[in-house]
Amino acid sequence: MIRLDRVSKTYTRAGGGEPVRALSEISADIADGAFVTIVGPSGCGKSTLLYIVGGFVPASGGAVLVEGKPIAGPGPDRGPVFQEFALFPWKTVRQNIRFGLAEQNVPRAEADRRVDELLDLVHLRQYAALYPKELSGGMKQRVAIARTLAYRPRTLLMDEPFGALDAHTRAKLQDELLQIWERERKTVLFITHGVDEAVYLSDRILVMSAAPGAIKADIAVDLPRPRRREELLRHPRYQELVIEIGRMMDTTA
Amino acid sequence: MIRFGPLIVLAALLALWQAAGMAMRVETLPTPLAVLPELWALFASGEIWGDLRASLYRLAAGFVLALATGVPLGILCGRSAAVRGFVSPLLALFYPVPKAALIPILMLWLGAGDLSKITIIYLSVTLPIVYHGQQGAAAVEEKLVWSARAMGTGRAGVLLRIILPASLPELLLGVRVAIVIGLIVMISSEMIVRQNGLGYDIFNAMDMAQYRLTYAVIVVVAVLGFVLDATFERLRRRLTFWAPERQDQLPTGA
Ligand SMILES: Nc1ncnc2c1ncn2[C@@H]1O[C@H](COP(=O)(O)OP(=O)(O)OP(=O)(O)O)[C@@H](O)[C@H]1O
Ligand SMILES: [Mg+2]
Repeated sequence: MIRLDRVSKTYTRAGGGEPVRALSEISADIADGAFVTIVGPSGCGKSTLLYIVGGFVPASGGAVLVEGKPIAGPGPDRGPVFQEFALFPWKTVRQNIRFGLAEQNVPRAEADRRVDELLDLVHLRQYAALYPKELSGGMKQRVAIARTLAYRPRTLLMDEPFGALDAHTRAKLQDELLQIWERERKTVLFITHGVDEAVYLSDRILVMSAAPGAIKADIAVDLPRPRRREELLRHPRYQELVIEIGRMMDTTA
Repeated sequence: MIRFGPLIVLAALLALWQAAGMAMRVETLPTPLAVLPELWALFASGEIWGDLRASLYRLAAGFVLALATGVPLGILCGRSAAVRGFVSPLLALFYPVPKAALIPILMLWLGAGDLSKITIIYLSVTLPIVYHGQQGAAAVEEKLVWSARAMGTGRAGVLLRIILPASLPELLLGVRVAIVIGLIVMISSEMIVRQNGLGYDIFNAMDMAQYRLTYAVIVVVAVLGFVLDATFERLRRRLTFWAPERQDQLPTGA
């Protein structure tokens, strides 16, 4: 379990301007294997919260506990997928996915097998030898996801991973992510601007309000799994949730 | 047509030189056709090789030292405010100083041999390498570093396996600038500390009023500069083909 215990963040600005209060006393328990999504207006501190959970940015107050222990920096138990992809441009698709395995000292043969598995999983096998600059946005995003899945983090931290994609690609990647999640039951902390995406994917949605960011609502998504897109879109409860959360977002913005 | 652009420009320049030489008819401006036999003789007699070797040895020695120290220093500067705090004032102080002005002092301390020349080349080419290394390392997207840290990469691993390759395009632009500066300082140090080398040849020939020879050595230096730059440029492209395209800037001379 991941526990956020009154996590606060104030950014001090290098230029000496007013400090920015990004997060104020965020508390939440994220159960193992849960798919939890954070939605909220732009600038409310969603990314900041994710970076703190990842251990990339220190909190100014409070603590993040994994299995009861406060985190000390990043670790392979929490794998990030950034909106900017953050692929290593000097490495091929295959080398990108393999990097974390090498860093974890996974034996050669096993690492190669694992990379092949992931290339198949994200349908990129025939692109394995390409460099990031030769890939489309959707392909880059798939490489980023595969690179993080490769070293088997227990928790995925995904910051608007499908934000920059066209609707068709996004729907496809959402389904791929759900399939992976249903098979491996990782804990997922997911950030999005899309209310329908949040409802489609999640067990639970945290709605944040802005300035400073705080959790305004904690909504359980009581929709059946496994989720099928066409069924779900017609499900009255799905429509209710989308409208309800959409309305909350309007009043927080 | 564009492919032949450089050749056409070269031919035009030579023609202009030839025309100017023929029009002026002075000893101090021999025509290319008059310089050509001199050039031929330089290589045929083997005279030039010793000086070419001496010059290139100094350039290479200065360069290897500069890469060995400048790359780590630049990268550390880009990643650590503490290191930067010490190094940037030094950079700011030394960058604008014409390095040739330091040659007499170095000569006093280190003698008139290779050591003073290698040192001055080293000092001159280290600066752009440190500077561009710092720029490159500071500009690395932090999410690349975070991604690696999440995979368990330690601090040294991040510097070596993330920061260094990610800074390479910028770093190599610095090296290209350094090559041009290195050539300039190599020649000027040999002109000031007369011993041997291409810079010595140029001035020596001049003193003895052997103007054709002077021009011949200048041609050798120009071709050497062109070949070094072009060779390095090919290497640079091969090492950074993966980088997203950017406008290539021309090296600035010093
Ligand atoms: N490095 C930083 N230094 C100073 N202020 C920052 C920094 N990073 C973020 N902020 C501020 O913190 C607040 C929250 O930013 P954050 O990026 O977490 O928002 P967000 O909810 O992810 O927004 P978006 O939905 O647009 O991605 C903003 O007001 C932002 O200006
Ligand atoms: Mg964000």
